[in-house]
Parts: sequence; C-alpha cells; structure tokens
Amino acid sequence: MSEYVKEITQGDFEAEVAKSTLPVVLDFFSTECPPCEALAPKFDAVAEQFAGKARFLKIFRQGNKDLASRLGVTGSPTLIFFKGGTERGERMSGDDIKRTAIKAQVESLLGA
Amino acid sequence: MAEKFDVIIVGAGPAGLSAAIYASRARLRTLVLDESVPGGQMKTTHKVSNYPGFPEDVKGTDLAKAFSTQAERFGAKIRRAVEITAHDLSGALKTFELDEEDHVEAPAVIIATGAKPRELGVPGESKYRGRGISYCATCDGAYFDGKEIHVIGGGNSAVEESLFLTQFAKKVTIIHQFDHFQAEPVSAAEALANPKIEVIWDSEPRAFLGENQLDKLRIENVKTKEVRELSTDGVFVFVGYVPRTDLVKGVVKMNQWGYVETGEDMSTDLPGVYVAGDIRSKRFRQITTAVADGTIAALAVQKFVKDHKQAA
Repeated sequence: MSEYVKEITQGDFEAEVAKSTLPVVLDFFSTECPPCEALAPKFDAVAEQFAGKARFLKIFRQGNKDLASRLGVTGSPTLIFFKGGTERGERMSGDDIKRTAIKAQVESLLGA
Repeated sequence: MAEKFDVIIVGAGPAGLSAAIYASRARLRTLVLDESVPGGQMKTTHKVSNYPGFPEDVKGTDLAKAFSTQAERFGAKIRRAVEITAHDLSGALKTFELDEEDHVEAPAVIIATGAKPRELGVPGESKYRGRGISYCATCDGAYFDGKEIHVIGGGNSAVEESLFLTQFAKKVTIIHQFDHFQAEPVSAAEALANPKIEVIWDSEPRAFLGENQLDKLRIENVKTKEVRELSTDGVFVFVGYVPRTDLVKGVVKMNQWGYVETGEDMSTDLPGVYVAGDIRSKRFRQITTAVADGTIAALAVQKFVKDHKQAA
C-alpha cells in the first residue's frame, strides 16, 4: 500500500471520514477478491495524484462488518465518495473500475 | 518515444497468457496488457475441474497464477491494472497509450479481452449493484454469511457458484428461465441434492426493489405469467457473457452477436490484428479452447512478425 493511502477501521470512521475537511474516497476491500487486487494499484496512483487535496482510505470489509452493513455495502471492491461528511456521487463497484473514472469523480468533488 | 515490442497481447486470461508463453518462447518481445490482475474469468472461478493436467480440482486463482508465472519465466512482460487510454490498430505499427502517459507499439497485436458477465437489463439492476446485487461469488460470498440469497441463471457458472455460496448462505434459491439446468450433469445433480439449494423453474427476474439496499426481487413465471415478489438478502447474477470488443469495434469484422470473425489462424480482416479466446466467434468457450486459440494466434504472429521484419 502506498504512503498516500491509509487503512482505517470502523472506529475511525467518524474522525477520518465524517469530520474530514478534505473530500474522502473510501475503498471497501476483501481478501480472495481479484478485482480488489486489481483496483489497489489504480487507487494508489490516483491517491498520489491528489495528495494534499483529497484523502484516500481503505477499510477491510471482513473486519468491519458493522460499518459495511450500515452503509449498505455488499460487494468488494466498493468505492464511496464523501465531501463534508456526506456521501456524494455514484458508488463504484466491481471489476471494471477505471483509473480515469476515479480521477474524474474526485475532480468533480473538488470543483463542486 | 514509444517502447517497441514484436507483439502486444491485450488481455491476460488463458488465451492471452497462452499466446504470451508461445510468443516469448519464440523470442518475440512480448507485452501483455491487462486492466486487472492476470487470469481473466479464471481468477474469479472458485474451482476448475475440467482443465487437463490437474487430477484434483484446482482453484481458479491458482491456475491463473500458474499461467502468468509461466509466461513471465520466458520473458513476457505483463502490465497489470493498466488502462488503455488511446489506441490505433489501423497502421502497420499498432500503437497504445497507457494510463494517459506511456506509449507502446508493435507490428502485431493479439486481442484476447474475452467476455464479461452479462447484465440482466432489469430495472433496478445498476442501482443495487454492490448494494445487494453481485456478479462475483468469490469476491462477495462472505458478505452473505447466514443470509438468504438468490442466484439468477442455470448454466455452469450459476450452478457451480450456487454450490460455492452454500458455504456462506443459509439458503440459496436459484431462479432459472427453463425447467431444467443447462449446467453439466455432475454439477446439476449436486445442486439438486444440496439441502440448502432450492430452485424456482421457468421464471425470470422482472425488477429489483428496495430503499437504499436491495430487499425484494420481482419474478415472473414465463409459463403461467404469474408475477410475485420475493424477499432477499442478495442476488448473484450468472446469465452468460458478452464479448469485450471496445478495442476492435468498427475496425474488424464481427458476427451479428458482436463476436469477432477470424480465419483458422486467428487473423482478423485487419492485417496484424489477431484475436483469441472468448471474444472470437466460435461454438464453445472453455479454458481449453481459449488456450488453443492463444497458441494458434501466437504461432501465426511469429510468421507475421518475421515477414514484417524482412519487409522492413
């Protein structure tokens, strides 16, 4: 995992996501999930591009079931975008999340 | 400056990786591009029972790793999680822009992008994707520990993945449009004998319903036309595949279902462009047939590249 991505647990959600002053991209991942493995380097690369402007967090679904079910996440990987503590834009899920699509959505969060 | 290769293979499933093994052993400078990690559909198949050479079931992820390790051993370069942001296949040199920054080129390409799970096209499907609807049992099965779920489909994937899902779910109800499975008899019999699996025959999904998350599924019996709603914790969709032809759409000849037409040597009607695997117009799509296509394409490309070098 790159230095631009931080792994959190559900106990950190309030401080790291809900109260974040920067936009947040939260990645729910699982083990035995090839699409998650495929997303990781793309997520790292976009995180680096937006260093200091948006925060890129990941959370291990198996260890954080309560938060996953509270947010209604039932698939890995799932990317959720937040600004000012509220969810914004479309979630991205499954095996064909493109680097350019993540970038575009973060840019629109920064612009809005 | 573009980095030069003899052949660029797009897609690291069994077809692409077999092509890479043959091409790299023939000392062609070989680049394999994949938007994900290597393995194609194999990597999300929980077990493979019909690939020769493995007397016991092999996990799809393990088979995928073995394929890619073998290709890399002979010098093929595999770029993982890469996005093709621009490409041109029309000239004598085929060019690709990767992740908006790198450029690569080669006189020959083998497009082995395969197929992806077909979506049902039923209202609510995209809304609840990742919120109750899934297309990958190995990825998402554990989310449904102790839950009651539904599987749509009745072919090999639907039946075998339903069996896998019984490890987690309390109950798996398969909804199938016909009155019998299309899956191989061995798996079909195993599913019918499994106490956690129930089947609703002759029925198709009509809508996915819920508030923030999927909680109901509307189905119609295609014979009686009876419509009813079922409560569900989650739905897995396995209703076949559609070819991934974005790179070659409008550039090479395709059949009426969008699969690419090839000669016996996997060549398309565009010189230097070959295709292999599930993307190809053919009757049977298996790991073994993908491997055969990839082999043939790589052998044909060797000859093509040699002629290209002589002409240059």
